[in-house]
Amino acid sequence: MVSGGLIAGPIAVLGLVGLVMYLRRLHLRQFRNYGDRVIAFDAPKTILVGDNAQGKSNVLEAVELLATLQSHRTSRDGDLIQEGAAIATVQGQIERQSSGSMDLELILRRGGRRTVALNGQGLRRQADGLGTLNAVLFSCLDLELVRGGPERRRAWLDGLLLQLEPLYSHILGQYNRVLRQRNALLRQQVRGDRRGVTEPESTDDHAAELALWDAQLAIAAARVVRRRARALALLAPRAAAWHRDIGGGTETLDITYVPNGAIAPDLLEGNEGDRAIAVQQAYLSAIREKATAERHQGTSLVGPHRDDIDLRVNGVPARQFGSQGQQRTLVLALKLAELTTLEELLGEPPLLLLDDVLAELDLKRQDRLLGAIAERFQTLVTATHLGAFDGRWLDGARILTVRRGQIDATG
Amino acid sequence: MQRLPGIGPKSAQRLALHLLKRPDAEVEALAKALLEAKQQVGTCQVCFHLSAEPVCEICRNPNRDRLTICVVADSRDVIALEKTREYRGRYHVLGGTISPMDGIGPDMLTVQPLIQRVQREGTREVILAIGPSVEGETTALYLSQLLKPFTRVTRIAFGLPVGGDLEYADEVTLARALEGRREMA
Ligand SMILES: [Zn+2]
Repeated sequence: MVSGGLIAGPIAVLGLVGLVMYLRRLHLRQFRNYGDRVIAFDAPKTILVGDNAQGKSNVLEAVELLATLQSHRTSRDGDLIQEGAAIATVQGQIERQSSGSMDLELILRRGGRRTVALNGQGLRRQADGLGTLNAVLFSCLDLELVRGGPERRRAWLDGLLLQLEPLYSHILGQYNRVLRQRNALLRQQVRGDRRGVTEPESTDDHAAELALWDAQLAIAAARVVRRRARALALLAPRAAAWHRDIGGGTETLDITYVPNGAIAPDLLEGNEGDRAIAVQQAYLSAIREKATAERHQGTSLVGPHRDDIDLRVNGVPARQFGSQGQQRTLVLALKLAELTTLEELLGEPPLLLLDDVLAELDLKRQDRLLGAIAERFQTLVTATHLGAFDGRWLDGARILTVRRGQIDATG
Repeated sequence: MQRLPGIGPKSAQRLALHLLKRPDAEVEALAKALLEAKQQVGTCQVCFHLSAEPVCEICRNPNRDRLTICVVADSRDVIALEKTREYRGRYHVLGGTISPMDGIGPDMLTVQPLIQRVQREGTREVILAIGPSVEGETTALYLSQLLKPFTRVTRIAFGLPVGGDLEYADEVTLARALEGRREMA
């Protein structure tokens, strides 16, 4: 072990040949509980071992941030910055077959805007950093995909879309902005109604202004919803196949996108340009139908911010279906589908981040997971102890011990 | 100083230290100049661009095309567009974009004066040069609906960074955008 931060190790070791997307090195500064630490990844599998709250999941979170610019643990940058520090940086050296070696850096500021730099050059928009590194994270929180509310499933699908088409970050951002503006206007109108503002002129003005935002919402909503449905259509058959494979072929998984409002699901199929217009029209009429309710509640009741993804096993909603083990099978199938969808569409296998989940998977499921990874995916694993999972995970793996923000190479 | 736009803590400190080292008379002259500028500069009665006179230099210039009006959100956009030297018409400064979140409704912008101006002057073309943010798009939509009965309405958008401000678009991009303007649907 080296105290200055660098974990020395034989670079270019076994198995690296053949990996076409590779995170070679991660440099964390004032990130979570790391002061200044460089972690070199010199094997296809890296296992980070340590007790809880020592910092092993923080490493995976840092990789997740580089890939998606999001953390599944927090939405506040302040949480990611070491106590007492003003700035945290996460820097990764990434090698890809398509674009060679790249240096991606995320700079987080307490109470300020984050910035992203690629090869030392600051990017004008953070989202331009998306697509440099791709990763799929699987953590125990993912059980919420089955058990939790629709927002969990939307966030998951949005996360996949961000990696498939980085422009989606802009599309979703625009939708959320329109939504906030429209909700602000609806709230103002509710307040106006309560004050008894009923002069015809002001009501007309309000209606005209709201109509503007209705139009913007319909356009932005159509963009979001068509992309979500398209991504899910790619993912669903893969997830069903994995589910059959893991579950032994006795259960059938059906995944469908459920748009709220009067949007017919079949309207979301197909790619023709006129479909976009049809979806916009459908949103406009759904908005008209809900006008009274919206005026009452002062919030937008139509749009993809209220959609859900329906997961059914043998026709039964997954939330009500079966044991925890069966739900784990479903989540594993979803994650493997995410991994293989990204691999196929990007042409390069993404990183797989397994955060404390191996111990929760039985040997059969671990075996399927190992089979799926098959040396193709660079994999980062966290665990509290090595005995908790199939010994084959250790084959060709680099084991790092994590203790209070210190990382030691073992063996 | 830190309250000024674009000035971070470091720049603020540097400016403050610089001023402290200068002679009193110089600092006093600067303070006076700032105050005078603030008191003198108002907005043009015609186009609402910043102006020390009741009618601004651009509106008074007889060489500028009086039948074309370029509508922008802010006076800074006039300055940015003027740098391109591509545009020979006149301007109209809205004073912002529609944003319910910030309590800015259409009635708080110079929309009515614009419509009156277009009718009065017999404007042939209104070019909407409003940044492609959500608020900018909404404002452009609103204006095009109101202006359509009276004049041709075009929108510059080509090559502009999506979600960006006009201020940040470089001159070449802006010049190209002006040439590539399109009719509003
Ligand atoms: Zn003027």
